[in-house]
Amino acid sequence: MIQIAHGLVSRADLPIPEWLFGWAAAMVLVVSFVALAVLWPEPRLERERWRPLPGALGRVLASRPIEILCGAIGVLLLGVVVYAGLRGTQSSTANLAPTFIYVAFWLGLVPLSVVFGDVFKAFNPWRAIGRSVGWVASKAARGDLPAPLSYPERLGHWPATAGVFAFAVMELVVSNGDKPENLAVAALVYSALTFIAMALYGVETWIARGEAFSVYFNLFSRISPFETRDRVVGLRQPLSGLAQLKAGAGTVALLAVMIGSVTFDGASEAPIWTGIAPDIASFFGDLGLSPQRALELTFLLGLTAAILLVYGFYRLGVVGARSVGGGFTAERLARAFVHSLGPIALAYVAAHYFTLLLFQGQAMGYLISDPLGDGSDLFGTADSQIDYSLIGSDATWYWQVGFVVAGHVAALTLAHDRALALYDSAKLGVRSQYWMLAVMVGFTSLALWLLSQANA
Amino acid sequence: MGTRANPSPWQTGSLQLTYFRAAMSRTQRIALVIAALAVAVLAFVIAQPGDDDDGADQEATAPATQTQAETNTDGATEEAEPPGPPVTRIRMDNGSVVGGAKDIEVTRGDTVRIVVSSNAPDDIHLHGYDIEREVAPGQPASFRFKANAEGAFEIESHVAEDAGRDPLVARLVVQPS
Repeated sequence: MIQIAHGLVSRADLPIPEWLFGWAAAMVLVVSFVALAVLWPEPRLERERWRPLPGALGRVLASRPIEILCGAIGVLLLGVVVYAGLRGTQSSTANLAPTFIYVAFWLGLVPLSVVFGDVFKAFNPWRAIGRSVGWVASKAARGDLPAPLSYPERLGHWPATAGVFAFAVMELVVSNGDKPENLAVAALVYSALTFIAMALYGVETWIARGEAFSVYFNLFSRISPFETRDRVVGLRQPLSGLAQLKAGAGTVALLAVMIGSVTFDGASEAPIWTGIAPDIASFFGDLGLSPQRALELTFLLGLTAAILLVYGFYRLGVVGARSVGGGFTAERLARAFVHSLGPIALAYVAAHYFTLLLFQGQAMGYLISDPLGDGSDLFGTADSQIDYSLIGSDATWYWQVGFVVAGHVAALTLAHDRALALYDSAKLGVRSQYWMLAVMVGFTSLALWLLSQANA
Repeated sequence: MGTRANPSPWQTGSLQLTYFRAAMSRTQRIALVIAALAVAVLAFVIAQPGDDDDGADQEATAPATQTQAETNTDGATEEAEPPGPPVTRIRMDNGSVVGGAKDIEVTRGDTVRIVVSSNAPDDIHLHGYDIEREVAPGQPASFRFKANAEGAFEIESHVAEDAGRDPLVARLVVQPS
């Protein structure tokens, strides 16, 4: 049994039972067929429809004081986490940094983004610092700051993809990736890189296109009905934000990394991986690597393989969709449908990390009172505990399957809507959708299979 | 419905409004719904006899709706309780488990008893339930608790963990009742 990742976790989900797996898989096929039969004949999500929240609410929520307050909270939290990581206990469960970064931040912001929109943008510490520095610098230089470089189109989403990949490597591959000190150093290095990139390309440009966490959470926030425009919070159709996603270079890779890393995290607990990983590791060990390095290289290989598998499967669907005609290049089609993978990525994260957020998230209760793990009790909650009986396995299974099926339906809906807008010919559009449907069913079945395998 | 204010960048040329209606006849749509029904019926037939030991967990669900099967165990007859909860015994030899780490399967609500004996001093930690017991030669560690949280929880040896060896002693798997 090898387990180097998730040192935080002291509880694992039970695999979903066979009968539920069967039911869920059948349900996926049923909703797919029904969807084809009943979906609408005209695009509905492609139109931009946005209206401000009633009254002054939308204006107040996006006002300057609120923005400054949220930014200050973000900067404070970043500071506390880095300080705790460097100065606190090096036990990953007793220090604030690992649970804050891997659970409260990385997982907690996902449901917040999906429900309330791009909240991370408001709290983003790098954006807040970048904007403040920019403001001060332009005052000092009396507006004579050099204009930022224009962002190269071919970079597209590649820097964000690299950032999310690096985060996944830290979480799932690096042996000491949950050690507080290492996380603090990683946060500092990432901050430095972000500030350099912001100085080169401009704060807002880098936030919108290059900064990994902004791009990651923004993608999920596009499912939300809330969107801020011109300093006003307003409402749009749920999911329609994804249809407005400007897919460019690296966007397909980004989604592949997002889905692939969760896939690997799930599969790494399954017999398929625990069976072969020791053999691969001992092969690297024979080449002269230390056991720890051999294990890390093995996991890096597994993570990369999972991402390439997801990427390859999507490209296969695109090749199929292209074969029906229409005169589109494979690249064009790949970018045209990639936004429909958004809900699938969400379903993977939600199903896989649901209980981790629910249980390990409770650890924030005592960690905020004792961030360094030195026995302090700042808010009187240092003695609180995780209630592992909060939700039972039955309820967990239904939620997990519910997430997966809902993600499947949302993905089908988006792909269908895009096909309506993309193809001139009715028949071609429908035929292209058979291929996209096959891709979605594939991803959804994989998600269900992973749920049925974990810790089996 | 007919006009679109902001054509999306993906729209090329004029769009046929009768897109889907033209693409798929009424018969085809009905055929798809029938196919969906057929899958649902098939799933019902296949899943029915092959389900787990907890047959009462499952109820028929209408196709394409997300009816959740309720846990329903009132049909299950209670087996005669054995006197006192069974004891799982684990023997450790110099920090490694004799016979390898195994799963201890229990049902929620069970009173669990685990006794770990070892020929070397150790700290045995049941994660999640967060119970820690010391063990020494001749002084086995005894765990007794009610399994009120479902899931898989690791029981680990802190001595093995500190030494960089595989710390897994056993896994407590608590199934729903």
